[in-house]
Amino acid sequence: MAKIAIDPITRIEGHLRIEAQVDGGKVTDAWSSGTMWRGIELMMKNRDPREVWTLLSRV
Amino acid sequence: MSKLKDNPSIADALKKQGVSRRDFIKFCTMIAATLSLPSSFVPQIVEALEKKLKPYVVWLEFQDCAGDSESMLRATKPTIAEIVLDVISLEYHETIMAGAGKYAEKALADVVKNQKGKYIAIVEGAIPLKDGGVYCTIGGRTALDIAKEVCGNAAMTLAVGSCSSWGGIASANPNPTGAVGVGKAVPGITYVNLPGCPMNVENVTATIVHYLTFGKLPALDNEHRPLFAHGKRIHDNCERRPHFDAGQFVRKWGDEGHRRGWCLYEMGCKGPEAHFNCPSIRWNAGTSWPIQAGHPCIACASTDNWDKFGPIYSRLQNVPGAGYQATADKIGLGIAAAAAAGVAAHAIGSAVKGKPEKKDEK
Repeated sequence: MAKIAIDPITRIEGHLRIEAQVDGGKVTDAWSSGTMWRGIELMMKNRDPREVWTLLSRV
Repeated sequence: MSKLKDNPSIADALKKQGVSRRDFIKFCTMIAATLSLPSSFVPQIVEALEKKLKPYVVWLEFQDCAGDSESMLRATKPTIAEIVLDVISLEYHETIMAGAGKYAEKALADVVKNQKGKYIAIVEGAIPLKDGGVYCTIGGRTALDIAKEVCGNAAMTLAVGSCSSWGGIASANPNPTGAVGVGKAVPGITYVNLPGCPMNVENVTATIVHYLTFGKLPALDNEHRPLFAHGKRIHDNCERRPHFDAGQFVRKWGDEGHRRGWCLYEMGCKGPEAHFNCPSIRWNAGTSWPIQAGHPCIACASTDNWDKFGPIYSRLQNVPGAGYQATADKIGLGIAAAAAAGVAAHAIGSAVKGKPEKKDEK
């Protein structure tokens, strides 16, 4: 029984971590985590709706 | 890594890639132009790139959208797809590298250890400081921790894009994660801010070539941006400037003025307060830029542009000169009634119209 972690997962946009439980050469359980957060939804509050796209298109 | 030992010279690498001598010289000439250097500097740039070994570069991504990586990969001008990637030896870049997990992190650690003080660190994305930096981690380490080690041991750091320059999108109000640029996160490092949303690859390449040719950073402004790229106001180099001076404004999307390419000031253009060389180098291999495409400038390369300049589609206040030429002409024809006020307006209008570039360069 071993638990492995692959972090960073490359060749994707964003930051991703994968953890996997490996039993006898088989993955029996796995967890994924996005390891970066900016809170862009919170920035949309009280903003002129017309300019929301300029920020959200840059997620 | 054997690659670390036999890094070829830039000219050799380009030759191997099938870049002709002619294209190489063209590339050097274009770089000199971007750096605002006279053509007499071209031979010096050619010589430096012929002799210098490709510098090792590691590209860190923190709170980013990979837009700056896209901007680099989409570089096309004189066979730049090869040139940009060959002027540098890119050893680590999460979005495009083959290795993952511990193999990726080893590639980074090898450069930091073996090339200490000699490599270039490029940073894309902001660094969150709030709550111990938990809002961005890679390989279990915080962005701040990685930046301290990697940027702290680099010959220089290039903060590409607005996020790594001053926080960018991540730092927009209310800045939920305490995001800052790399210069603020890791005080004391040698760095250049190359903001823009995204950064313009030609300015990044020019900065690297300047460093290789002259052994130092280009002259910087008070926001740590190179003067060659941020020394002039967009407003002063804008192709729509004559319409501003003539009082010809777009007042509604799709109206007559918009269709005819008039000034976007009334629609919220931030060009009068933004400093960037977009009007001259443009984007997508010099095809166009936002104002040419009919959208107001959003001052993407200016610190805190998302909050400091007011709503994007609201007109900037207190910009002198808007439409004063019409007033001045009327005065000239003896139509204006309020002579005193008119003369004052004329004086302001003329001062702004006079020699804006020279005024700005001082």
